[in-house]
Amino acid sequence: MKRYLFGVFSVAVMLFTAGCDDFLDRPQLNSVQDSEKYWRNEVDFRTYSVEFYPWFFTGYNSGYGTTYTPLRGYTFNDDITSGEAKQTDFPSVVPTSVSSMRSPSQLLTGDWRTLYHGEMWNFGWVRKANIMIDRTEKYKANLSDAAYKHWMAVGRFFRAYAYYNLVITFGDVPYFDKPIDESDLVTMYKDRDPRGFVMDRIYDDLKYAIENSYLLDNSSTQYVNKYVIASVASRIMLFEGTWEKYHGLSAERSKKYLEFCKEASEVVINSKKYSCTRDFRSLFGSASLAGHPEVIFYRNYAAALVTHAIASYSNGEEGQSGVNLQLLKSFICNDGKPYKVSGVANASDFRMSELAKSRDSRLEATFYNFAHVKSQSLIYCDKFISREGASYWNKISQRPAQYGSNLNENDAPVLRYAEVLLNWIEAKAELAQTYGGDPVTQADIDLSINAIRNRPLDAAAIANGVSKTAPLILATMVDDPDRDADVPQLIWEIRRERRMEFVYEHTRLLDIKRWKKIDYMDNAKYPDTMYGPWVNFSAEVPAYLSKAYEGNLIVRKADGTLVTYNGTNGSQMVGFYKIRKATPRNAYDYAKAYLSPIGSQEIQAYTNLGFTLTQTQGW
Amino acid sequence: MKRLDYLLAISRVKRGLVIFGAAALILVLNPSASFAANTAMAMQQSKVKVKGKVTDKSNVGIPGASVSIKGTTTGTVTDIDGNFSIDVPAGSNLTVSFMGYKPQTIKVTKPENALVIALENDNVSLEQVVVVGYGSQKKGNLTGAVTSIDVNKTLESRPIADVGRGLQGTTPGLSVTLPSAEVGSDPKIKVRGQFASINGSTSPLILMDNVEIPSITLVNPDDIESITVLKDAASASIYGAKAAFGVILITTKKGAKQESVNVTYTNNFSWQNSVKDYNMGGVDALEYAMIAAKNAGSTSVGAFYKVTDEGLAKAKDWEKNYGGKIGSNDPTVYGRDWYVNAAGQKVGLRTYDAYEYMIKKWAPSQTHNLTVNGKSGNTTYNIGLGYLDQDGMNKLAKEDNFTRYNSSIRLSSQYNKYITFNAGAIYSKRIKKYPYTTGGTIDPWYYLYRWGPQYPMGYDENGKELRSPASEFHQANTAEQEKNYTNINLGFHLNLSENWTADFDYSHANEEYNWTRRGIRFSGANTWTGGALRKDAAGNQIYVNSNGDVVASGDAGAMPAYDLVNQVYTSVGSTPDHIYRQSTNSQRNTFNAFTTYNLKLNDIHSFKFMAGMNRVSLIDQNHWGQITSMLDFENVQFGSASGLQTAGGGKSWESQLGFFGRVNYSLMDKYLIEANLRYDGSSKFPTNLQWRWFPSFSAGWRLSEEKFMEWAKPILSSFKARASYGVIGDQTVANSLYVSTLGSFTQSTWLDENGNRIYYVNSPNEVLSDVTWQDIATLDFGFDARFFKNELGVVFDWYQRDTKNMLVAMDGITATFGTSSPIGNFGNLRTKGWEVSIDYNHKFSNGVGINAMFTMSDAVTKVTEYGSSKAYSGWYNGKTYGEIWGYRTDRLYQMDDFELDANGKLQQIVLTSANGAKNAGLKAYKLKGDNPVYQAYLQSGSFMFGPGDVKFKDLDGDGQITDGGGTYDNHGDKEVIGNETPRYEYGFRFGADYKGVDFTVFFQGVGKRDLWGSSSTTLPGFNTADGAIASRFCSDYWTESNPNAFYPRPWDMANSTDAFNMRKQDKYLLDMSYLRVKNITLGYTMPNFISKKAFIDKARFFVSLENAYTWDHLDGLPIDPEVMPGVGLLSDDNYQSGRAGISSPAFKTISVGVQLNF
Repeated sequence: MKRYLFGVFSVAVMLFTAGCDDFLDRPQLNSVQDSEKYWRNEVDFRTYSVEFYPWFFTGYNSGYGTTYTPLRGYTFNDDITSGEAKQTDFPSVVPTSVSSMRSPSQLLTGDWRTLYHGEMWNFGWVRKANIMIDRTEKYKANLSDAAYKHWMAVGRFFRAYAYYNLVITFGDVPYFDKPIDESDLVTMYKDRDPRGFVMDRIYDDLKYAIENSYLLDNSSTQYVNKYVIASVASRIMLFEGTWEKYHGLSAERSKKYLEFCKEASEVVINSKKYSCTRDFRSLFGSASLAGHPEVIFYRNYAAALVTHAIASYSNGEEGQSGVNLQLLKSFICNDGKPYKVSGVANASDFRMSELAKSRDSRLEATFYNFAHVKSQSLIYCDKFISREGASYWNKISQRPAQYGSNLNENDAPVLRYAEVLLNWIEAKAELAQTYGGDPVTQADIDLSINAIRNRPLDAAAIANGVSKTAPLILATMVDDPDRDADVPQLIWEIRRERRMEFVYEHTRLLDIKRWKKIDYMDNAKYPDTMYGPWVNFSAEVPAYLSKAYEGNLIVRKADGTLVTYNGTNGSQMVGFYKIRKATPRNAYDYAKAYLSPIGSQEIQAYTNLGFTLTQTQGW
Repeated sequence: MKRLDYLLAISRVKRGLVIFGAAALILVLNPSASFAANTAMAMQQSKVKVKGKVTDKSNVGIPGASVSIKGTTTGTVTDIDGNFSIDVPAGSNLTVSFMGYKPQTIKVTKPENALVIALENDNVSLEQVVVVGYGSQKKGNLTGAVTSIDVNKTLESRPIADVGRGLQGTTPGLSVTLPSAEVGSDPKIKVRGQFASINGSTSPLILMDNVEIPSITLVNPDDIESITVLKDAASASIYGAKAAFGVILITTKKGAKQESVNVTYTNNFSWQNSVKDYNMGGVDALEYAMIAAKNAGSTSVGAFYKVTDEGLAKAKDWEKNYGGKIGSNDPTVYGRDWYVNAAGQKVGLRTYDAYEYMIKKWAPSQTHNLTVNGKSGNTTYNIGLGYLDQDGMNKLAKEDNFTRYNSSIRLSSQYNKYITFNAGAIYSKRIKKYPYTTGGTIDPWYYLYRWGPQYPMGYDENGKELRSPASEFHQANTAEQEKNYTNINLGFHLNLSENWTADFDYSHANEEYNWTRRGIRFSGANTWTGGALRKDAAGNQIYVNSNGDVVASGDAGAMPAYDLVNQVYTSVGSTPDHIYRQSTNSQRNTFNAFTTYNLKLNDIHSFKFMAGMNRVSLIDQNHWGQITSMLDFENVQFGSASGLQTAGGGKSWESQLGFFGRVNYSLMDKYLIEANLRYDGSSKFPTNLQWRWFPSFSAGWRLSEEKFMEWAKPILSSFKARASYGVIGDQTVANSLYVSTLGSFTQSTWLDENGNRIYYVNSPNEVLSDVTWQDIATLDFGFDARFFKNELGVVFDWYQRDTKNMLVAMDGITATFGTSSPIGNFGNLRTKGWEVSIDYNHKFSNGVGINAMFTMSDAVTKVTEYGSSKAYSGWYNGKTYGEIWGYRTDRLYQMDDFELDANGKLQQIVLTSANGAKNAGLKAYKLKGDNPVYQAYLQSGSFMFGPGDVKFKDLDGDGQITDGGGTYDNHGDKEVIGNETPRYEYGFRFGADYKGVDFTVFFQGVGKRDLWGSSSTTLPGFNTADGAIASRFCSDYWTESNPNAFYPRPWDMANSTDAFNMRKQDKYLLDMSYLRVKNITLGYTMPNFISKKAFIDKARFFVSLENAYTWDHLDGLPIDPEVMPGVGLLSDDNYQSGRAGISSPAFKTISVGVQLNF
């Protein structure tokens, strides 16, 4: 008996202990390995690159997201004033940390530097692009020559774009052209490279990208192509070309970049694919931008799949901090002249209803034509919603769901032809002005500014009494009495055109920075930034003539005197509306205001390991 | 050649079970002849009749004592008076035993008529056998830190849903916390400290009959025979790879010891009632919000219904006129309860008590358990059936409850002297039903504690339900989480010789988790949007007065009436307009084989050898599907949805293999040594780093058995000193740590031109290729002492547990690297703690028995190696786990702290570097004095420190209040002000019994725990714009007329938890310590002679109170002291956005029940 038992026991033990190598071989199953199993063909490269899109071509973002969005994201500039609050201050102290180190799966959940309209101290996108470039080279054999070049172009394009977002925030940044090994501390901890060096690398990447990218990838308009790259290059090069000039850095680089801006813009212009032949409002409120003649690249939204909330913030119900009188005054009258020298009737009437009729059509297309209490400045922007969506402001219960909450479906114009044209004409004017470029001709103006002004008007605009603005004629251009003395007349008018075109969009803060005009945000220096339109309260906003407004509702008469509402003087409450309870931002150091400091913690971490990270200039 | 060996080995392993099964069968078919012969011989001996009585020391008969012939299964049980009668072969030994008494053996040579056997009291016998890893051990010979739990005393009669809740406070070193009161939620169980690994699990291994189970809630408390907690490395290491953070061993009930059929039925009916009052502010909350708004320069505040000066005055009138008269069932009336003001804002006047609308007064529960236990011939069996049905506290939900069904069967059949077959099956079904309102991690409880008291609930004048958290709970369809667990196990036990046994067990567990969410589109009178003017049929405006009565337009006080717009406000296809179902299936195969050999030499040396193996594999698969846009909200099915279809899923697998050996050596039962060795392999690491050796040792010295301790015997019954050290490998990490991946293919928010979401992959993660085991090393010293004839016992342990080679993020990576650091074995962590337990049992000569128990434990965890980072907001070398950094509060600023101008107003000045470098250039109100300390650096937005605001202490004396550099070596005026881990967890129980009446009261508490607020119930002014404010906060705040208030002047924190006045600081840190009367039970066992008449062996009735009373330091805040932010039904870390104490209320329970043994 026992023999059996021993036998059974030993056999059992032996069998279960022998050879278990494969038993423990259980690799993870749910993820794609970064190895030769991936990077097999163009589809894999394209799939890898799609993660860039929602971050770099944000459009209206998605869900309730407001990062890099018009209206809700780009609100720190001289156009916009918040009521019942102090204006957001420029940062005055070095923060503890401005860096962001995210795991790959969290990259898209990152944050941005709202006050700089650029990146955190985050190199995740640079790394993503560098890895793409590295893998394109490594798996070159899996691609045709044209495909290799295109995917290399896409990788280099996103690297350039990622670095641009860092440079606009921090100026000098360390430049890496390949992924960093975790043990290579010397590379990882190198100090910042000079801005010019970095911009030259961006320049090289963009040049390569334009030359080598597809005209259309995979027969789809929704992937990066030559015109997308050229449009972004036009933007980046104008930015840096003028920055280098106005900040007195390098004349040589300034010229080089402005010329590239012109060249990149011409890639788009000469393609003859685009034109400004539909009305302004159709750019922002359309359910679909497919085939829109002015749209170079757009973000598509669809109900139940991906929607946004930016139209809701334009729907007449949601509150807004509004734009100010300073912006209203910069709008040109429809005879093509600044209001002080315009011959248009009522050119000095700043009631919203009158401005809609006397000013450039974009004013009426951007704002409601009445004083709207849902905006703190009483100027309410309805630019980013369709005419129909905006019409429900006083009948909310009938409003279709797509105009509320985060259910908006209107597509976002990510890159549009007008910007390329305005970049082009500005670069051209700057080159002519300073670097001996060809002078700007009337034909150039007709191709750009006048083409934009000649957009057709939509029916609603015509019903509101809007008319097209007269073209800009170089020979008869009138001087604006409000022009800054240091800005030549033509460049002044080009800048004005940008301002009218891009209200609430991505440009304004970066424009005034590159022109070295950050003083525009000084509320003390520009008191009109604290005022709204001309309002007759008893007729237009009677709700404000109530108890809660006593002592804090103020208007400025034409002669400059201020009248405060005291409960009985309602009839006298007619004048420029002093944005209620708005207080100016703190005085700030102009020189410090251009670039963000690095966190003290980041600098300390470098010091601890015997390296140096230089603080941003002026900080 | 080598390859051939390898292939053979593999095929052998795969066929292993089959071959072994066949071999066992051959054995079975050839039973030993000698075995049969032995049995036959015993039958032939002459019999004598023995009659007698079993008594205790005081000569009282013991009913139910077992009297059996030693070495056989023949025996009987004493009757109610302790009498028995049995026929035995002459010369045999009779063993008499009863739980709680020392067994006695008497040799019977002749017939006896009145044999009296007096058993000696032995409440805590050192001979008692404790279940340990792969075996059992006499309590007296234990050398590791092992606690066995008295299942009867701990769990019997308690109206609790699961064992985890029952163990709270009963076992030193076992920490059980109940972060959420939601019925059906899992308690958090930790052994020795709250935290042991940054990337690992820190959870103990829970084994039921040597097989890992996914949750303790699946076990029916009634099925449990014993629970043992293995705490140190030496005792747990035998379980290897998953046992690093302690083991909870649950052994289920086996069949009876002697020929019998026993039927037991127990039940319990209980009623739950909220443990705390809702206690949120009413009109005082409106006033608080209004003051906060004014302090920030606003004239109105509120989310959907505004508070204004005018509205506040009217709300106070409303309270005077209607408070207490208008109740929750009365509709909301325009004009009286709310109105639209000149600015077009809805202003709320009536205050609503959300408790009335949403929380049940009494929620019922019931449990029923039936057990059949017995022995028939060589087969023993145990069958258990259990049913639990518990209602949640949600008053409005269509369904809010937790149901559990349990069934189990265990069979054991002794085939012959050598072989015993075992088989068993366990089935557990748990169903949690709750109102489905959202796909996210926030449910309407969140909104209950978010919106202010003026936010209406109930119905409007037109009988339409008002859109509110209440209406959404009410309308919501039901979501169902169903968890099914099935475990089938088969095995056999070999008696190879008298001293040598072997066990083989295979178990297959199948776990299913199905989560069905049935959605709806909500409708109601929309409180979120503006109202519409009320017109009559002819289209004329209707006017009302301030009582809500219709009046003519010209009448005094007439105002145009409004109605809320009644509509379906969930748009088609948006959450929760869908049906969703998720199915998860986990299959676990466990094979255990081990053999034990006992060797005794000259009664002095005693050895026990054990060797075995353990093989576990787990495959986990899940998928989900969803279709939006329901066409039918009554019968929500996939077939009745018409919108977007989405699906997803995943699969993972893992395996562990371990070989182990253990040697126990005892010299004269005085000197005890145990050594364990385990060789572990895990699938989690790269092939070359999969296998590791882990040793552990323990030793004990029974000092009391030494000659030189003789003198102490009258007092010190026994004393044993213990020490142990061991290392266990931990591999509870993801299996992708060493593989660089691009993540899964994910749908982007970028659409192609046709509206399809395009897929993308991430950039690759950075990994290190040499990731391997974490080593958990535990050093333990302890003693077990018993005094006064074993009546009083003390057990104490001190331990230190190191997590060595802890998997942490690599140091020295900076942002330019572009991603988070790779994970490697770079960290160390140390937990130090102690545990004590004291028990006392005494039976007075008059028959009154008393027992008492006290336990307490504490643990502190510190990071001992973690790179070079210094920021106290993250990990750093030297950080104590759970520490809270903050300022020290001095007091509140008063008016006379400030320099006033000629008009008696505060003066605003711009500070210079003379006021501290970090204050330079900032604005502040001018303070009196020569060098006052300014706090301007802590200001933000329009907030400036003024009268009624918090004054902090300038700890570093630099003339300014700052957080320094935010690092542990430059922390400015901040320091560690508390710790959020529970410390000094304790419990004590007192019990008494007399003549069938038994009484137990059990207390449980936590000595120290801090929490910084993160919600409307825990932080003053958390979000005054949303409006909900705990009553405590709006009853005692600073105003000029109340300068000695506890809380500062109102300010809207706007969801911030560390800003303005509420910078983290000691004064407003919540003291979460508590003492709770966890349970009181009064039971009565009917005298046997009465119950016998109904053929009932034992009948016991009981009344029990659970969570009867709580002492805490929360000053009436409406939260339970056990809450943990973020942990709840819908998420383990971000439930209700991580806000503390805003979910289903905790409850106390009163219950009655009966236990019947047939």
